Amino acid sequence: MEPLQQRRRFLKALLLAYPLVSGALLLSPAEARQRKLPLSVLDAEEAADLETVIEALVPGSAGAGAVHFIDYQLARPSADSLLMLRYLGVAEPHVNFYRSGLMALARHSIERYGKRPAELPAPALDQLITDLITDDTQDWAGPPASFLYFVWRSDGIDVTYGTEDGMAVLDTPYMAHIRPEQVW
Amino acid sequence: MVTVRDKVDLLVVGSGAAGSVFAAEASAAGKQVVLLEAGPARTPDHLVSSQLWARRHKWGGAHVEEEGDHRVGHNFNAGWGTGGSTMHHYGVWPRLHENDFQTFTQYGQGLDWPLQYAELRPYYDRIQGTVGLSGDAIQERWRPPGDAYPMPPVPVFGQGRLLAEGFSRLDMHTAPLPLAINTIPYRGRPACLYDGWCDAGCPIGALGNAQTVFLAEAMQSGAVVRNEATVTRLLTSTDGKRIEGVEYRSADGSAHRLYAEVVVLAAFTVQNARLLLASANSRHPRGLANSSGLVGRYLMTHPTVSLYGLFDAETQPALGPTGGQLINQDGYDNKLAVKDAYGSFQWIIANAVKPNGLLGIANNRPDIYGSQLKPFLQRAVKHLGVMTLVAEDIALRENRVELSSKRDVFGVPLARAVHNQGKPSAALVAHAVQQGKAVLDAAGAREQWRGPQAGMHIMGGTVMGVDPAGSVTNSYGQSHDIDNLYIAGPGLFPGSGAVNPTFTVHALALRAAEQMLRNWP
Ligand SMILES: Cc1cc2nc3c(=O)[nH]c(=O)nc-3n(C[C@H](O)[C@H](O)[C@H](O)COP(=O)(O)OP(=O)(O)OC[C@H]3O[C@@H](n4cnc5c(N)ncnc54)[C@H](O)[C@@H]3O)c2cc1C
Ligand code: SF4
Repeated sequence: MEPLQQRRRFLKALLLAYPLVSGALLLSPAEARQRKLPLSVLDAEEAADLETVIEALVPGSAGAGAVHFIDYQLARPSADSLLMLRYLGVAEPHVNFYRSGLMALARHSIERYGKRPAELPAPALDQLITDLITDDTQDWAGPPASFLYFVWRSDGIDVTYGTEDGMAVLDTPYMAHIRPEQVW
Repeated sequence: MVTVRDKVDLLVVGSGAAGSVFAAEASAAGKQVVLLEAGPARTPDHLVSSQLWARRHKWGGAHVEEEGDHRVGHNFNAGWGTGGSTMHHYGVWPRLHENDFQTFTQYGQGLDWPLQYAELRPYYDRIQGTVGLSGDAIQERWRPPGDAYPMPPVPVFGQGRLLAEGFSRLDMHTAPLPLAINTIPYRGRPACLYDGWCDAGCPIGALGNAQTVFLAEAMQSGAVVRNEATVTRLLTSTDGKRIEGVEYRSADGSAHRLYAEVVVLAAFTVQNARLLLASANSRHPRGLANSSGLVGRYLMTHPTVSLYGLFDAETQPALGPTGGQLINQDGYDNKLAVKDAYGSFQWIIANAVKPNGLLGIANNRPDIYGSQLKPFLQRAVKHLGVMTLVAEDIALRENRVELSSKRDVFGVPLARAVHNQGKPSAALVAHAVQQGKAVLDAAGAREQWRGPQAGMHIMGGTVMGVDPAGSVTNSYGQSHDIDNLYIAGPGLFPGSGAVNPTFTVHALALRAAEQMLRNWP
């Protein structure tokens, strides 16, 4: 193996992209969301609840396609997953983590606030987030609520600020050696 | 080509730090070497600059169950694929100190190493010359004897300058961080660009990892890496006295056997212990190399806590190596300095940080969300300072890798890593965190906070020692029970010290590989 001699390289630039049919359609998660492309793992209610909560934690993450990003990662072999969960010691398959978490969240939301998270008015949604953070959750049958908060918030941050566009919004330099050119 | 023979001279399990040194030495000596690597093939082109893509370098093999109040954090601390964890390691390479080697004799804590610093020093010096280290040996006033670094230190950016002033105002010292990162072109590899992408892997080769140095040498001399080859069992002769080879599974799930004169187990701490235990047979009912019953025991991880401060001045936290810019080891040599505590510690100062990721800016303030998040990030990307504590762990017999009742897809029992923190070690961390807070205050941080305590690096589980009843291998990593089985990596460490382990892993592996070749069966 020859050591790489070249200095920083800028490839032509597909930014973060999202594959649909055998890689034929390359879209960013944000574009996938705009086009309302179908999800492969999460159902409509799960997706709506997840998007609502992540958007409340990380404003802008819904538009950045957080749910399409998560759904795509959950559908691929876990060794290829780009979710932070893969190094937080949670057993696979990771879809079980998200699904049981969303189920517990929905149940808690309905029991305490009368509606699913996606249907809650802003003040109740705020309170729901506080419940998550403080583990103020009776009969919660899912991963610990505060851990879910940490993971979902982190997923939102990944999509919103972990990209070239996101870092530009924060006015911090990306300085890639190799820009992310492959699909997520 | 190996495929026409089912027996090679040297079979190395794992293509990371330790395995690559054995492979380079043996193939340079004319041995036919094959490395079986569970993870995928990785070349520099795969090292995309992204904290998201970096996650592909994390462990992707069988799940590791964890228990205890201070878990080793296996999947964060273990890599996979060509080059192992080194592929995206940060290149912080301090040496152990002289007082790290005899902690039981000197302090009544942990275990003694079967060798002293003086015996390891020449190997540190040689590895340093081959890999190329940057630093300043004089400014490292605490550094044990050793050759000067072949390269000047990394530059210090805004946060490093501010934090160094904080140390200095408390009459403490900082020195350039010793790094396996080129600051000038070195042996055909270019200099660092200080863009903070080390965690995603350094595709230009400025960072010295397995792929850029020893694995490259090994492959030039004819060694072969077989990727997606997961070793599931080590095979012994019927009398149990020799290791004959291994069974492994390739990507399609098919089973294979490969035989060798000598086998080096270099699959990192947890998987090494797991494979030895899971390879039990009638001659070795408790697992291979386990007549002492100590395989899996004395598992260690460095307690680590990051401290953060926001400064009025711009700190340039995006710039520099991920590993940091400066180091402080002022109190390292007095392991009994703090009441009710035991151990050494060091500060790694001014890590480059990105907005996302477990160690990223946003996740170091998990309490901030909603409308507060963006303003916080906008401020922090310009004004944050970071310093990271690395403290000593004590080798405790009850901390261990054991086999779970659950199995992986190939039928091999999963590993369960159990690690609790001893009280003296917890007291040391509490003391060090107070010290760190004082430094941030002295540096002028407007606001400061700390991250949670976590485990950094994974050591022990196959400890070396003089006494076969009290250790798994001799000082070369050679099994006390099976002569042609070598174990390599930080799992050999009988004590953790408080420094990052990979320089020591290399020095031990070089010493062991030379002994192996001198005594070739
Ligand atoms: C993010 C990160 C940053 C780090 N930074 C530093 C640092 O700055 N300084 C420092 O000193 N250390 C650092 N480390 C630690 C360092 O990388 C390890 O100590 C070192 O790589 C261990 O060497 P090893 O050869 O034992 O294992 P590795 O380098 O991990 O190699 C082991 C290889 O074995 C393979 N393997 C496992 N099981 C099997 C199997 N059954 N069959 C076949 N192959 C298998 C794995 O896939 C892996 O590729 C860091 C680690 C990480 C993850
Ligand atoms: S900071 Fe230096 S060593 Fe790290 S990835 Fe960039 S060029 Fe490589």
